[in-house]
Amino acid sequence: MAAPWWRHCRRWSTYCLNPLLVETGWCFNTRSVSSVSRTSWSVWSRNEVQPPSSTQPNLKPLICGNRLKSRLPFSALQSCCCRTIHSDTKPKDPFSLAQKDLTTLYDDIKKELFVSKHELKHLCDYYFDGKGKAIRPMIVVLMARALNIHSNRAGDLLPGQKAVAMISEMIHTASLVHDDVIDGSDKRRGKRTINEVWGEKKAILVGDFILSTASMALARIGNITVVKVLSQVIEDLVRGEFMQLGSKENENERFKHYLEKTFKKTASLIANSCKAVSILVNSDPDVHEIAYQYGKNVGIAFQLVDDVLDFTSGANHLGKPSAADLKLGLATGPVLFACQQFPELHAMIMRRFSSNGDVDRAWQYVLQSDGVQQTSYLAQHYCREAIRHISMLQPSPERDALIRLTDMVLNRDK
Amino acid sequence: MLPTTCCRLCCRALYSRGQRALSLFSSSGPSNWSKVVSDAEKIVGYPTSFMSLRCLLSDELSNVAVNVRKLVGTRHPLLSTARGFVYDNRNNLQMRGVIVLLMSKAAGPSHAASDALVQDMVSGIYPSQRNLAEITELIHTAFLVHRGIVNLKEWTVSDGPLKDMQFGNKMAVLSGDFLLANACTGLAKLDNTKVVELISSAIGDLVQGIYYESPSYTEDNSASDGIDVQTWEEQSFLSHGALLAKSCQAAMELANHDKEAQRLAYKYGKHLSLGHRLNSDLQPFVKSSVGEPVSFSLSAAPVVFHRQIVGEKRWRQQLQQAKTGGNQLDYSKILAAVKSEKGMSSAVDLCCYHGNKALEAIQTFPSSEARSALENIASAVTKC
Repeated sequence: MAAPWWRHCRRWSTYCLNPLLVETGWCFNTRSVSSVSRTSWSVWSRNEVQPPSSTQPNLKPLICGNRLKSRLPFSALQSCCCRTIHSDTKPKDPFSLAQKDLTTLYDDIKKELFVSKHELKHLCDYYFDGKGKAIRPMIVVLMARALNIHSNRAGDLLPGQKAVAMISEMIHTASLVHDDVIDGSDKRRGKRTINEVWGEKKAILVGDFILSTASMALARIGNITVVKVLSQVIEDLVRGEFMQLGSKENENERFKHYLEKTFKKTASLIANSCKAVSILVNSDPDVHEIAYQYGKNVGIAFQLVDDVLDFTSGANHLGKPSAADLKLGLATGPVLFACQQFPELHAMIMRRFSSNGDVDRAWQYVLQSDGVQQTSYLAQHYCREAIRHISMLQPSPERDALIRLTDMVLNRDK
Repeated sequence: MLPTTCCRLCCRALYSRGQRALSLFSSSGPSNWSKVVSDAEKIVGYPTSFMSLRCLLSDELSNVAVNVRKLVGTRHPLLSTARGFVYDNRNNLQMRGVIVLLMSKAAGPSHAASDALVQDMVSGIYPSQRNLAEITELIHTAFLVHRGIVNLKEWTVSDGPLKDMQFGNKMAVLSGDFLLANACTGLAKLDNTKVVELISSAIGDLVQGIYYESPSYTEDNSASDGIDVQTWEEQSFLSHGALLAKSCQAAMELANHDKEAQRLAYKYGKHLSLGHRLNSDLQPFVKSSVGEPVSFSLSAAPVVFHRQIVGEKRWRQQLQQAKTGGNQLDYSKILAAVKSEKGMSSAVDLCCYHGNKALEAIQTFPSSEARSALENIASAVTKC
């Protein structure tokens, strides 16, 4: 907590830019992670070179001179991902372990959102249809149980912890509804967006309503520190959105800006929700910090992977077309890394890919560079940090599930 | 047909103060209202605190301010909302905050408060109550901005380029969200979860009220189902009253006042807001002179009363008669129709009723300069 988090990140980013150091980081990576979860990382530790698979049409052979160029982490990781999820071996996957605490999640949310007005109610419930991944509530309940065991409090989740899990999903959804208006999106999770069906004005009001309901539920937990922690998230979300409006001229600043935006838009919610459930069970600030750091690092990794998938995933996987970020004028990790190999990207970044053909050209440059890989390494770095922190808690099935979850964050393909 | 209203009209006879005959209505203009509010500002000390200044001077809103310039020449509502911050409207914008401060001062410190807490008071108001007043203004402003989001599918060429309208929406969403987010963190700092819950529920009420605000009726659907007076009051409470009522209540909670004081403060805020709403709905009806172009919403209180009084059938006939060649509505004809029946006077009566209810609510507070100012505001609401 002493040093600003991004200072740490910047150190990593400079670290990462040097090919030699990347190699070092790489070795470190294989060593440390394979000790944590052997099965899923075994492919990694053998340093296999995978041929481009047919399921990865967008990952063209890289032409740059980097030594790591043909390693294609994603195709390798995807095969492990399936193994982790479908294995029948003893350690349960995070999803099924969290399931018992999440069975009533959407019903609880709908109860909170109760309004007599029919149409508003329908719009509020629109995205709480059980088809979302509910990854935030999952992390929150696993964290809560791991912390409860760490704090020698056996038994069920505290009611406040359950509420935080629910609130995290509500805040997330409210921000999605507003983001869709800002970005002019017409599809979300395979559905037409609220703004597309009912218009922008109602979409904004629905987002505001979900937020106000989340805020009431938050207040009813009755712990003012928890209220403060989660109110910070709401401010971070908006500030992150504002940061996305501007581009920085200077490259170092641009990277810092990107990571800070990533923290505010994605990681802050996970980090502070984890912190909130720790405050409810334990008074030790060191424990709060462990929870916060895990959430922060997993959150940043999650978004970095998302940014990579924007380049590598087909249109139907993520529920949005690829290169969506470029089309919105946003330069994410892969582009920023690619810009170091192809300075031609600089001008395009500054004009937010607004000239004719910019999006296609930028896309080509990114795929020709090792921007995708560098971003993946960065995500791995954040996951290792997350594991380092969470490992300070006493062992429990939930703690181990949170460690395994970092694999799934890295290996997801949608 | 109007049981609640009739009952209220009877009640009205019981109050001597604030009762106005129709003829008095046009005698005093909004200048009176401005004077009452600005006099009140002097009583509560400095009117603005640092929260809104910090917000307005933030990088985020400066960014918006720069970008709003691009909207000049378009019809995006954010433009007029932004103009409202710079020019005029000072009283409208700050009115809620001033009332929360006056209410705080009128109630004074509670018996339960420790001396140390009382020492923190400035001009008889706790710092937390000042912050609450600011938060109330932030929320109100946030929704002024969010109200002006445009549905892009309804876009027409005369609005300006579609790209600009998209951009205007983006700015409006972000700046409204920014103000709301600041309100949320400000609320958390008040260190009182009851107040956080209360004000959050007020935000929810506000959203519901705005959601069901009648879309400005176009000629095509002007004959569609109207709302009755009771529904009008419920919706007006949500969109215009809940925030002030709950903020007044929260101000009492912050000073540890008991449930009864909280109830009365809520009551004042509620009735004052409804009176104020009726007052502004009545403005086009009392101010217009013959020949002047007039325009008003067909969901304004006098029209709602009128429709209920004359019945749907006659209302449709009157609408039909008011239609001009280009399928436009001649509002002066509708105005004349509303004036000829009891629609307008019923709205005036209801306005007085709410003003009197507001006055009644604060009678048990000790007599003070602040209470007098609250009384003046309530009385001003009953005059147009």
